Amino acid sequence: MLSVPANRLICIVLLLLVVPAAATSTPVARTLSTNEPGAGEVFTVSLSIEGMALGAVVETLPTGYAFAGTDHPEDRVLVRGQQAGFAVMNDTLITYSVQAPATGSGDITGTWEDFLAGSEGAVVPSHVAVGGIETAAESTGAKSALPAAQEAAPPFAVLAAVAVLLVAAGRGGRR
Amino acid sequence: MKFWPLFALALLLLVAAPVSAAESIPGDADGDGLLTSTEYAGAALAYLDSAYMGGAGDLSPADIRDAAWVYTHWDGKPLEVTDSSGRTVTLYRPLHRIVTFSGESLETLRSIGFDMEKVVAVDKYSHGKETFFPECQDTANIGSIWSPDMEKVLTVQPDAVFLYATISTAVCDDIQKRLEASSPGIRVFRFDCFKPATYVGEIRTIASMTGCARRGEEFAAFYESTMDRIRDGAAGTPENERPRVYFEYWFDYTTVAANAGYNEKTELAGGVNPFATGTAEYPVVDPEAILVTDPEVVVKLVGQGLAVGGYAGHDIAALDTIRAGMLGRPGWSGISAVKDDRVHVIHSDILGGAQHFIGTAYLAKWFYPDRLAELDPHAIHQRYLTEFQGIDFDLASEGTFVYP
Repeated sequence: MLSVPANRLICIVLLLLVVPAAATSTPVARTLSTNEPGAGEVFTVSLSIEGMALGAVVETLPTGYAFAGTDHPEDRVLVRGQQAGFAVMNDTLITYSVQAPATGSGDITGTWEDFLAGSEGAVVPSHVAVGGIETAAESTGAKSALPAAQEAAPPFAVLAAVAVLLVAAGRGGRR
Repeated sequence: MKFWPLFALALLLLVAAPVSAAESIPGDADGDGLLTSTEYAGAALAYLDSAYMGGAGDLSPADIRDAAWVYTHWDGKPLEVTDSSGRTVTLYRPLHRIVTFSGESLETLRSIGFDMEKVVAVDKYSHGKETFFPECQDTANIGSIWSPDMEKVLTVQPDAVFLYATISTAVCDDIQKRLEASSPGIRVFRFDCFKPATYVGEIRTIASMTGCARRGEEFAAFYESTMDRIRDGAAGTPENERPRVYFEYWFDYTTVAANAGYNEKTELAGGVNPFATGTAEYPVVDPEAILVTDPEVVVKLVGQGLAVGGYAGHDIAALDTIRAGMLGRPGWSGISAVKDDRVHVIHSDILGGAQHFIGTAYLAKWFYPDRLAELDPHAIHQRYLTEFQGIDFDLASEGTFVYP
């Protein structure tokens, strides 16, 4: 049998595992063809979209990185400076290209908004660094990603987290 | 001294201007009344530009969400709604804040899966039904159609108000006039939601205007299939072979005539009412006349005027007592219904209002027990409560609606 402190420790570890998972569950997930592009290399960013019929995604690129095209319909894309906005209309995948600078690193950040559900949140940031070399470059964008804490957590994950807390509290009290 | 009340009322009217007053679809750039795919996409980008990318634009989050809603639910077109009073109203945006003056329309909204958070005020009778409308206990109470709290109606800033269409028309007309005069942006819709002849059409209309078409169609199909099975009971049976039914209202020796809703349900279930020919809606009958007609089935109504059972309480003994009292009436031992043990008690909760199809299913089952052996009104009732009303109510242990 595990001791009470050991049980508590397990519960806390479980909680720490569950809560971040809850916070990262969004309708939009980003993947990059590479996180360490070569100087001037064009790489692909893919946005997987699930359960969002009508909405939008705004992506913000790090300084020096440039939007280089997309397969998304032209009349549903808006590029302004370091930002690219995509109108989502029953799309499940949007891909776009980014040209890396000679040097520089930073995060690609994003914001999604589901117009029908009336919800919004942040896409988990993706780090890029030319040649894998970190620099002092920083992400730009005026009103970009929402704080990750605003992302909607799925009910199950929240319930699981609460259950873990309750179990931890209950075990702690029975001495 | 009179300045402040007038000022307060003027302020209230200004504040009460509803969101949906604008008569165009947001994002309809060319104003032709159709939000095309291209226009919607343009609107979405214009919104993104102003909201996230530092550009200029005047589409608010509410605008783009309404545009998306209209594009999805109404194919990008305004919706022309013809209510049960025959009046046509055009909607350009979804309804976000509904006030209901009738429990029937409130119940129908719940049946079709409407977000009840968007019902911002209800009539006092619905407000008082803690068991049946638990989610409305914290919703604003705007009184009744006979004594409406108009100030509260305006305070909750509705974009739509539901009133009866064909009953209490004078008071409902008056409420409608007062609302439209004080806040022209409020859409008033007239629906009954309790009449078999018009209910399925009302379900579909309300579902369409609230974006609940899929769920509304499921409920309409459930309702229609139940009504079809009810009609099967008497199908092909000549009128002179249909069971004679004495339907007694809440009060002793008071029955229902041709223009009463309960008579319509009796006939829908395949019964023949020997007293249907009176001019009064609820005529008092001579006790001797009942014996002369020798009803084959007797149905006694309980409910508001004879307050036992229903959703409020599980009291089978009370219904048994009422039934026993009828069996002991002078001369009744000789009538067919008593001799054949076909005297039943039914609660108005399931025979009037939006649940009329459940009570009518019981009537049909009582009138044609052999032909409708497979019809299970109890199961229909439970499915209605669980699947369409979404309330935790177990008919096996809660409420009393029929006996035996």
